[in-house]
Amino acid sequence: MVSSADSPETSPATVVETKWPTSALPAALFLSVFFLLPLAFVLLLSLSPNVLVHSHGLGFGNFEYLLSKPYYLSVLVRTVRIAAVTTVVGLLIGYPAAYSLKLLGERVSSGLIIGLTFPILAGPLVVVLGWMILLADGGPLLGPLHKWNLIRLPHLIGTETAVVIGLVHFTLPFVILSIYSSLRQIPDDLIEAARSLGAGTGNLLVRVIWPLSLPGVISASLIAFSLAASAYVTPYYLGGPGQITLTTLVGEFILGTYNSQMAAAASVLLLITMFAITFAFIKFTSRFVR
Amino acid sequence: MTAKRLLAWIFLGLIYLFILIPAAIVIVDSFSSATSFPSPIESATLHWYRALLDHEEFLDSIRVSALVAAIAASASVVLGFLAAYALVRRPVKGRDAVQTLLYGPLFVPQIVIGLATLQILSLAKLRISLVSLIIVHVVYLMPFTMRLVMTSLSRFDFSLEDAALSLGASYSRTLWHVTLPLVRTGLIAGFLFAFILSFVNLPLSLFLTNSRTATLPVVMFAYIESRIDPLVAAVASMIVVAAVAVTVVLERIFRLRLLG
Repeated sequence: MVSSADSPETSPATVVETKWPTSALPAALFLSVFFLLPLAFVLLLSLSPNVLVHSHGLGFGNFEYLLSKPYYLSVLVRTVRIAAVTTVVGLLIGYPAAYSLKLLGERVSSGLIIGLTFPILAGPLVVVLGWMILLADGGPLLGPLHKWNLIRLPHLIGTETAVVIGLVHFTLPFVILSIYSSLRQIPDDLIEAARSLGAGTGNLLVRVIWPLSLPGVISASLIAFSLAASAYVTPYYLGGPGQITLTTLVGEFILGTYNSQMAAAASVLLLITMFAITFAFIKFTSRFVR
Repeated sequence: MTAKRLLAWIFLGLIYLFILIPAAIVIVDSFSSATSFPSPIESATLHWYRALLDHEEFLDSIRVSALVAAIAASASVVLGFLAAYALVRRPVKGRDAVQTLLYGPLFVPQIVIGLATLQILSLAKLRISLVSLIIVHVVYLMPFTMRLVMTSLSRFDFSLEDAALSLGASYSRTLWHVTLPLVRTGLIAGFLFAFILSFVNLPLSLFLTNSRTATLPVVMFAYIESRIDPLVAAVASMIVVAAVAVTVVLERIFRLRLLG
């Protein structure tokens, strides 16, 4: 950044010479005041004593409290587990879907992709309402299965399975599009070349297409994991009180007991967990991509 | 090859069934004559849509949501445009740092942004109001509008501006007559996208509304807590219709790829 600014201006002189991104100033100022500052305050709050954790001055007491109680520890573990399972299931469904889009060709797929964006615009509340109707006991999905004695699943609503179904649904469009955008960049010539050199379908998939689509798979995983870990509406309604995650725990602390400090600590715990896992994942996967 | 294509079609068919089925069931059930779910649909009725017209709480919240979404989307388009303009036009000092800050809200869960705003308000001894609600929505929307405007600016030929300026047009005149008309598509698309994202958002607003400023998702959220009936399905169906309309407009008229 510094070097480009220090080097002499190479473009022909014009009337306006912007050395600093001046017009980005309002946005940067706005976010500094209304985003960074509040976030910094949450960090401070998370270190402050409260009704649950008495201490003098700032400290890590709130985090020690959250991590030492089995109940809160299970909330943290559940959050990570749900996000991880969602990511894996999403990739298992999303990769073949993206590959199918690639097979059908640009013209067909560009039309189909429109359908993927729609649930994002309708918002999670509408979609979760749909799942609550679908997955309810005696609803359109479980009702007939029970009646014909096909399965003996007592409930879905209120289970981790329901949360994962909802979150896979929520993240799938992002996963498919992310993988598809890297699959799309693989030139058809390359695939033809591999074929003409005698690669069978299995070889082609494992040794040509999979390695080249890896960047898309990695970014799909990161997006799916962080969307699933940040989701609020889906775990709240499909999981209910038995499946509290860190996001709904923040809600509980504010709407239930109004403990700002613990809500802040749960928020910071969520942020640290997400960043740590994202960072570790990037470190780990960077060995596999050039 | 054809067998492969057939397989691809079938698989994608199942994927789309999975993706679209929750919204479809909401629409179907909004015409149900039942009074609560789950129950089989016996006959179709428009009763719930008529009932909606008398439901003050939902109607008020729709007005609040529309107002918040309109102002927040406009503000985020203006701020997003200015930021995108600075970042795309030419290499500038601190570009990466500014860009990281501006994309920041994307990496923080919305419930945490809502909590942070609530806490800073109480620190400043301010009450929650429509203003704080709009501000938190702008924080969340700006990365999206900035991204969309950046895409449309990256196709913009900045030498057109230099030409106008060197021919003696003032800076504001150039902006108004040359730059803005050429990036209009990105701005309108950004507005529509931001509007609908704000309109359907729950986690940002959850801690920041009271009975007078409750947005539609907040009212729906509270309603679903006590019961699920065709009335709330009717509300949700109208959101689905709005989402479909925005999707079609964005893709067909603006040829805009929101994702990927």
